[in-house]
Amino acid sequence: MRAPTYVYRVMSPLMLLLVWELASRVGVANALILPPPSKALTDLIKLAIEGELSKALLASLYRIVCGFALAITVGITLGALMARIRLLDLLLDPLVELLRPISPLAIFPLAILWFGIGDASKVFVIGLAGSFPVILNTYAGVRSIEANFFHASQSLGATRCESFTSIVLPGSLPHIFTGVRLAWGISLIVVIAAEMVGATVGIGYMVLEAQQTFRTERVFAGLIVIGLLGFMTDLGFRWLRRVLLPWYRKTES
Amino acid sequence: MGAVASGENLVRFESVALTLCGNSHREPVHVLVNVGLEVSNGEFVSLIGPSGCGKSTLLSLVAGYLAPTSGRVLFDDEPIRGPDRERMMVFQQPTLFPWLTAGQNIAYGLKVRANRCACPDVKAKVNNLLELVQLAGFSDHYPAELSGGMQQRLQIARALAVEPRLLLMDEPLGALDALTRRTMQREVLRIWAETRKTILFVTHDIDEAVVLSDRVYAMAPRPGTVREVVEIALPRPRHRDDPEISRISRHLARLLE
Repeated sequence: MRAPTYVYRVMSPLMLLLVWELASRVGVANALILPPPSKALTDLIKLAIEGELSKALLASLYRIVCGFALAITVGITLGALMARIRLLDLLLDPLVELLRPISPLAIFPLAILWFGIGDASKVFVIGLAGSFPVILNTYAGVRSIEANFFHASQSLGATRCESFTSIVLPGSLPHIFTGVRLAWGISLIVVIAAEMVGATVGIGYMVLEAQQTFRTERVFAGLIVIGLLGFMTDLGFRWLRRVLLPWYRKTES
Repeated sequence: MGAVASGENLVRFESVALTLCGNSHREPVHVLVNVGLEVSNGEFVSLIGPSGCGKSTLLSLVAGYLAPTSGRVLFDDEPIRGPDRERMMVFQQPTLFPWLTAGQNIAYGLKVRANRCACPDVKAKVNNLLELVQLAGFSDHYPAELSGGMQQRLQIARALAVEPRLLLMDEPLGALDALTRRTMQREVLRIWAETRKTILFVTHDIDEAVVLSDRVYAMAPRPGTVREVVEIALPRPRHRDDPEISRISRHLARLLE
């Protein structure tokens, strides 16, 4: 007899927590630098009740959402234009490839100079870093559409404008979706890092401050929040893909 | 629409040539040279020939995706100026829109601006077409959920939705297994008889051409030209073991060697 798959899927995290809890309780690990997970969890609940968690989380989420929105707007527009207009492709491609390998954190000092220590600098860096996967995937998506689709739609009587909305848009959506999902992941990573470099509120700031005041359990509490946020939003993306692209899974199989 | 009475020829090629300029230093390629061709209203005409003889290119000229370098391609005695719903292409690789269901694929041509007013009841028409190609009940299936043969029948239904006068079929059965292919040949004949469309059909299968067509154009490659035109005035359904059919097939096979 076999257990359902989710039993296996929750087993490894649970085992890790158990070993970790035991190790710091028994004293194998120094509880100052590796407090037991139960302590981190208690601290997390305390943070939630005192309202500090929601304050930090809302500040971070605000930056993530703004930066992410910027990234997908710029990314989809540029990617689609580059895929359709050769001149723009020639002009912008080297720029994209030059900027892409630069770590977003290396840009951050510049962003602070330009936009100050507030939200704007973080939104800018998230938007910049997140736009690259969207540009590249949108480009690939628009380019992947076969010429015969256009031939068929022209013969059926579609105008250029109708071809764009009825062929280019849905046809490139699976690729665009992948880019958007990557951009979201990047937004989560970049916001934490940026908040550690320069911020007065946010999950990243909370973790850094806890480390500096030697509240290690709070460091872990912050990490748990970040992990859960990423995990749950990705579940959201999977659900969204099933709703938006019901045909796509069937095409792949 | 031009006057139907003016000519019995729906499609006419007048010494058509197509030369494609190679990229930069490559030699220009003569894809078609001095091609003459006639298709009358209601006829089933096939083009056969080895790959590289320009038979698919010839269809693209009629569809309006390409323009000839010299000569004239006439539809209803008017030069062809671009794609039009009177001349619908059915491709070898199904170009059904994968993000639309079977029903939505058929409705596509009825919903674009150019045809919107022409069909007051899209739903009824879609259902009729699904029935015609024996796909009733599959309206909500995505193309990827259908077999190869079903996809090709759906593609034919989508083309028929805009009521073309001519169906251009570019090796529509080429990607199917042998058994499905035989069934689909009968299907194509049945649909042709029921809808009374004119069909210009490209294949590299000699038997297929002989079993289906009123007339076969045998083409030769490099440069693409018409080598011989064979009229087949035998009643349908035809069987490939029929002595007269196999005589014509052998004759065409020798021509194409």
